[in-house]
Amino acid sequence: MPEKSLNKDELLEKIDSLSSQDHEKILLTFKHSLTSEYAAFLNTCAHCGLCADSCHYYLTDKDPKSSPAYKLKQISKVFNSSFDLVGKRFPALVGAEKLSNKLIKEWVDTLFGRCSLCGRCTINCTMGINIPYLIRAARGALASVGIVPLGLQSTVNTAVNKGNNMGILKEDWLETVEWLEEELQQDVQNPEAKLPLDKLGARILYTINPREAMFFPLSITAAGKVFYAAKESWTFSSENYDVTNYGLYNGDDEAAGLLSSRLIDTMHALDCRELILAECGHGYNSNRWEAPEWLNRNYGNEVKSILQLIAGYIRDDRIKLDPSKNSEVVTLHDPCNLVRLGGLVEEQRFILRHCVDNFVEMTPNREKNYCCGGGGGQLSKTRFSERRIQAGRLKAEQIKATGAKIVATPCHNCIDQLMELNKHYKLDIEIKTVTEIVADALIISA
Amino acid sequence: MTAFLYYGVIFSFFFCLLALLGLTLRTFSFGNKKVRAAFRGDWKKGVVYAFGAGMMPWEKESVRQHLVTYFSGFIYHFGIFAGIFYLFLSLWAFSVPILIFKLIQILLLSGLVCGLGLLIKRSVYSSMRHISCPDDFVANILVDGFVFLALLDILFVGIQAYFWGMAIILFLYIPVGKIRHCLFFFYSRTLFGVFFGRRGVYPKERKTSRV
Repeated sequence: MPEKSLNKDELLEKIDSLSSQDHEKILLTFKHSLTSEYAAFLNTCAHCGLCADSCHYYLTDKDPKSSPAYKLKQISKVFNSSFDLVGKRFPALVGAEKLSNKLIKEWVDTLFGRCSLCGRCTINCTMGINIPYLIRAARGALASVGIVPLGLQSTVNTAVNKGNNMGILKEDWLETVEWLEEELQQDVQNPEAKLPLDKLGARILYTINPREAMFFPLSITAAGKVFYAAKESWTFSSENYDVTNYGLYNGDDEAAGLLSSRLIDTMHALDCRELILAECGHGYNSNRWEAPEWLNRNYGNEVKSILQLIAGYIRDDRIKLDPSKNSEVVTLHDPCNLVRLGGLVEEQRFILRHCVDNFVEMTPNREKNYCCGGGGGQLSKTRFSERRIQAGRLKAEQIKATGAKIVATPCHNCIDQLMELNKHYKLDIEIKTVTEIVADALIISA
Repeated sequence: MTAFLYYGVIFSFFFCLLALLGLTLRTFSFGNKKVRAAFRGDWKKGVVYAFGAGMMPWEKESVRQHLVTYFSGFIYHFGIFAGIFYLFLSLWAFSVPILIFKLIQILLLSGLVCGLGLLIKRSVYSSMRHISCPDDFVANILVDGFVFLALLDILFVGIQAYFWGMAIILFLYIPVGKIRHCLFFFYSRTLFGVFFGRRGVYPKERKTSRV
């Protein structure tokens, strides 16, 4: 994400200039986002500290401020002082603290800077407190007065204003699709192979992470090749194709809802039956699970990950695969938003077992995996990038322990982070999406 | 004096229940978020998992890594429940088999040891102090005192007034601080089960799905 203009002091200066009216706005937004569930969570933490060793930030820096309980405590301070009778009357006893600029700085440092919203603390919490969702609510409260690390906010703004988070112009997108279509035709040796755009009545509308168009075009071709092999009826949209949704990370429900609505509305406008999400962890969580609530609409089953689609192709024998085409040792990194928070656990394994010769699991894996450190919008926040790389050490060690040469991961944020970890920790690995590995194993019939 | 304490315990107990009810109503006053996304898994199975396997060492890494703390907490809570059970026995002078009394004594003693251990851990470790507030210490000391006096009351005569006095203080304090988690634990754990159950994360099923 572009970060050139990010200036640490700028954000701190902005916090210093916040007035009591701004504090009230933060509190009001926070109160608005509170539900009985969140209030119950904030009443439940017994400060047992068992969550600490589940957090990749705490495990790699051993700073008590990185403990999930400490992060939650920063939110509880405000909740208790503003919404709890005991906290109002006896603040010192229960650690209640009125919102102040000093506390807001602590919120920024801990809630934006020490959390990737991965949810690993939740599954390890004795009480089951959904800490990342509370942190997201607090982030959203800060966003209401513009206190968001610049890189993260500019990513949201670009997506809202320009239709995709990279600010790709429509003509550039159309040209890219045209160029990639030629690549696909050469690859499958069929001049009739298409990357369709705005095809009315196609069965599926496929989305991408705009980073694919900018930096990883081959993953788009890979998806096109799989669809071609499966004889799928599908289309891209010329306008709304961005699967990402950084509104999930800055906590702004309105922006998040707007971004998701574009996809689901485009699906209906093009008369497609399914919205297929590219390999993107937070894109899946946003569009499959959170968007119906942001938008107050009932849906979900028509929104699927491409992993579900490909697993279906394999089950239904719609594509033929030759695992020997992927003979290197392959391991799998589970994106938190897709697996732990999204529930897609087995599809990627099922697919990989059909298209690689030697698949090894990381330990721990599935919903217990460690976050790579790239989630929670961390990739867009350069002020915390050193921490991000440090927090990724566990993932680097996991990868090393597998001895794998290829790491598959169905998430472009994870790919970006893993690429940095690869360089920093000298892992000597290749990182691919699952679809790319499937495309490599495809047997295309004449 | 005894009658005063007797009614004091009963009054404080009902105050505690009412205050917890008030807290519950306050909590629900924040409103509920309607779940709109189509389910992928079974939320009921998720809840069963949350209160069962989901709390076991083989499922939960934090438990495996902190077995001593986890089981200390478990035993501590059994000690507290034994103390409350004994309190009601002593209020209404119920007689129970000697074996039950022995069991209560064991639970109280082991609960007390574990409670004090957790208090020491909270005091000694910097990581624990960072997440603690005065309430964490007050709550632990009050509960330890209650368990300790329950144990003494079983073993010696002339302790009952102190035991009942401590029970009054404890019941009055429960809704004030962290001990309120005795109520919210069940709600939070249920929410955990619903969340991960409907998303198809828990309970784990090692197969792919068409939805």
